[in-house]
Amino acid sequence: MPDSMNPSPVTRHGKPLRAILQPAIVYCLLIIGVLIVVIPLMWALAASFTPNHKVFEYAYPFSWRALLPVDFTMEAYDNLFARGFGRAISNTFFLAIATVIIGGTVNALAGFAFGRFEFRGKNLLFLLIVMLTFLVPIDLTAIPRYILVNSFGWINTWQGLLVPGLANSLVIFLFRQFFAEIPQELIDAARVDGATWLRVLGSIVLPISKPVLVAAGLLMFISQWNSFFWPLLVAPRQELRVIQVEISLAVGQYGTIWNELLAGSMIAAIVPILLVIPFQRYYVEAITGTGLE
Amino acid sequence: MFLKRLVFLALFFLLVVAPSFAQDVTTITWLTLGWPVEAIIAEFEAQNPDIKIEAEQIGFNDLFAQIQVRLGARSPLPDVIAVDVPLVSGYAFRNWLLPLDPIFTGDEVEDWLPAAVNAGSYEGTLYAAPISTSTQLLFYNKACFDRAGLMPPGADDRLTWEEIAEIAPQMTFDDDGDGTPDVWGFIWEQMVRIYQLQALPESLGGAAIGEDGLTVDSVINSPEWIEAFTYYYNMFNVWNAAPQGEEFWPADIFETGNICMFVGGPWNIPRFANNADLDIEWGVSRHPYFEDGVAATPTGSWHIGVNANSENVEAATRFVHFISTGEGAELWWREGSGDFPAQQSVLALFATEEEFDELPMSYMRTAADEATVNPRPRAVTVGFLEYEQILQNIFQDIRNGAHVEESLNLAVQRIESEMAKYRE
Amino acid sequence: MRGKQQIIPYLFLLPALILLIVFNLLPTIATAVESMFVISLRSGDRVFAGFANYNRIFNDPIFWKSLQVTVVFSLIVNPFQITLALGLAMLINQKLPGIGIFRSIYLLPVAVSLNVTAIVWRLMLDKNTGMINGILFQLGIERQPFLHSTDLALWSIIMIASWIGVPLWSLFILAGLQNIPEPVLEAAKIDGANSWQSFTRITLPLLRRVLAFVLVADTVANFLLFAPILLTTQGGPQLSTNLILYETYRRGFLYGDLGASAAMLSVMLIIVFLIVGLELYVLRGDD
Repeated sequence: MPDSMNPSPVTRHGKPLRAILQPAIVYCLLIIGVLIVVIPLMWALAASFTPNHKVFEYAYPFSWRALLPVDFTMEAYDNLFARGFGRAISNTFFLAIATVIIGGTVNALAGFAFGRFEFRGKNLLFLLIVMLTFLVPIDLTAIPRYILVNSFGWINTWQGLLVPGLANSLVIFLFRQFFAEIPQELIDAARVDGATWLRVLGSIVLPISKPVLVAAGLLMFISQWNSFFWPLLVAPRQELRVIQVEISLAVGQYGTIWNELLAGSMIAAIVPILLVIPFQRYYVEAITGTGLE
Repeated sequence: MFLKRLVFLALFFLLVVAPSFAQDVTTITWLTLGWPVEAIIAEFEAQNPDIKIEAEQIGFNDLFAQIQVRLGARSPLPDVIAVDVPLVSGYAFRNWLLPLDPIFTGDEVEDWLPAAVNAGSYEGTLYAAPISTSTQLLFYNKACFDRAGLMPPGADDRLTWEEIAEIAPQMTFDDDGDGTPDVWGFIWEQMVRIYQLQALPESLGGAAIGEDGLTVDSVINSPEWIEAFTYYYNMFNVWNAAPQGEEFWPADIFETGNICMFVGGPWNIPRFANNADLDIEWGVSRHPYFEDGVAATPTGSWHIGVNANSENVEAATRFVHFISTGEGAELWWREGSGDFPAQQSVLALFATEEEFDELPMSYMRTAADEATVNPRPRAVTVGFLEYEQILQNIFQDIRNGAHVEESLNLAVQRIESEMAKYRE
Repeated sequence: MRGKQQIIPYLFLLPALILLIVFNLLPTIATAVESMFVISLRSGDRVFAGFANYNRIFNDPIFWKSLQVTVVFSLIVNPFQITLALGLAMLINQKLPGIGIFRSIYLLPVAVSLNVTAIVWRLMLDKNTGMINGILFQLGIERQPFLHSTDLALWSIIMIASWIGVPLWSLFILAGLQNIPEPVLEAAKIDGANSWQSFTRITLPLLRRVLAFVLVADTVANFLLFAPILLTTQGGPQLSTNLILYETYRRGFLYGDLGASAAMLSVMLIIVFLIVGLELYVLRGDD
């Protein structure tokens, strides 16, 4: 952009120079951005393979060695897994997948109702859902939610972890956007053949909805994967601990085991990253789909 | 397809809900920190086959919000709770803890250190049984004294803070010349916590809180506090002998030779003694004091209590009794907390066990004696959590260069604002 | 037929609606109701207290201070993030070789949790051992107490929030950019517009809807920010990063002062509501 501040039109000599310069500037800016994104992650990754007392060794004064493990060791990872991190990983996977399957069903049904039907109170209900999405910080209403879940006897249970997060207004929104754009003829044809609405949804709509299914699945998976505050409150028992809660144990009364904290964080980060990169297109569509009507 | 999922959902609930009906032993949950709890649980369950213990271990920073939310909601779980001792008043005031007097005999109560019994009681009733206590010593690296041409103190010497102020800057070295010392002279182990820093104003005769247990104005901004925290400020900002920045754990950098002296707990003694890779020569001396003041040592640690709304009171009290007295307490000291025991019978083991005959483990005997020298518990107030956390913020500010008197006045303003809710 | 059709959408909605009402709406209403009650700390009894909790927080200088910090924070962080996000979106919208790799890399912060981000940045910003100061040292610049000085701490929080925020919002803007038809830009070029002119006259107006959404969503997200505060400065130094949501968290979750916490939360939700309404009104435009 800075070069475009020049108000004079393109000159005969300027054009080839500009054609080289502009991409060069763009690449420079892009690389600066990449460094800002990658350096913290590389340092954290390197530090997770470093003995605890050497974690900060090359950070100040800074040397490139800070981005490589000093005295490479798996100690942090070994300790984590010895403490039951494997269990936390499988718990979190189970929860995230259950959320995707059950929550996906619940939210897709609701999205279908909003996207394909006209009914009384539709706009009011939709407004309500949107408001809940945007305005209410979920963690901050945790105390009344905890009291409620407690009255169900769901503390330290899978239900307590899973059920409150199943309905997700963002995902309903996403489904609605997609379903609203399916051509009416497709649905009419099936209805004429006498198919029930459930059947229409199951055998006509869903098979052509792969993009939104992947996108919604990713959104639900990642938000459940990264959840910390609610699981900590509702299910601190060892057998039910999720990754983010397990990581927080590295912060002890007598100090923090930095390399374990970072090793846990790296494991926590790698799964969403591995999911997002190959499904990048869907994921971008998902988050942008919720914003662009 | 949809039906199938519905069936799955139903099955899922059945599978998860059903097992809770199939119990013939009482299961109690114990909300605790990341201590090694396996040995104590195994021994207790072996002796009490009708009780099963589920440990809910969470990080230190998350414990207080967890207790606040769950006990505040009058939840029956967790049954047993690790209680940081200054919080006993606040929890008892809110009726969250079961009175424990009936479950202990007079002998058992007398075996505990009197300061620990007092700290676990509120208005004369015991609400939390002591499972550990603590004291503080000065740890030093001998090489630093050699390098500065100074003599290290003996294990029974007590340096004054003025002496520390003099020698700490001499033991601060910037070897690579980058403008930041690589070896620091001094630090407090819990550098921004009231637990340890309270000893500074108390050595000068200052109090921790007003008579009514709520007032802090003219207490924590009194001349004694201002003098004490000016000393603290100078250590970090004027003499530049202690590192600023994030809170960290000094033992980590003591082991690498990057800190010369720190005031810390006896839990560091076995840590250093058992570290085979440690190649520094270290020693301890008594907790420092101000030249014109008195010796005052921090004390207090973890207690254990029973949730007043627990549905398994009998089983829960049995466990609390086990871990806080007799062989259970001894087992907890040997294989559990790694902290200092609160039972005089267990403390006596320091004098008799061979393990403590030789240096450096014999420093544990120094610590056991230091625990009896003017131990000063933390402020007894129902609003301790607010008091502690706000002061923690304030100390961190002072450590990083904030004006001492202004900061303490801000602490007064903030704490008084929080205490207002207890005054009705 | 029509009658039957009337019931079907409700059936489809039912599971989600029940869940949302029970687990989201009820707790929200409970919070608003709670702000009118005082709980006796001793017995746990709740007593209706009208606006007593509001009275208490309005007379509390700490509340006003945190409101002030929140306003300053919002006024800086939102334009800052949106401007950078727009710039980033324009960069990764360039048709250059290898741009796909860059786009993937810029997605990384969006996938990493806020907890992890806050912890890593806290360590990187430390005065003595932090890498940022390590780099500054190599450049001959003095160490900076990023998270411990009243001048820098709020800016540090803004940087941490932006590490995730800028790439996230740039994704939305990128999608908007890609919706602008190529011929429109070509036509402008032929008419002699330079790139600055075509940016201000064509691109920005066509991005208005997206930018409006991003502005509203970003405003709300930043008003509701508290995890990074909890994990880095805890409101310090000297309350300079004590954002209102963190103060709400502290009162409710740590000190058990549910009435004051609920009252603060309610006040905040009303403020967010008003700001979002104002933003939407201003950005409403001509169509």
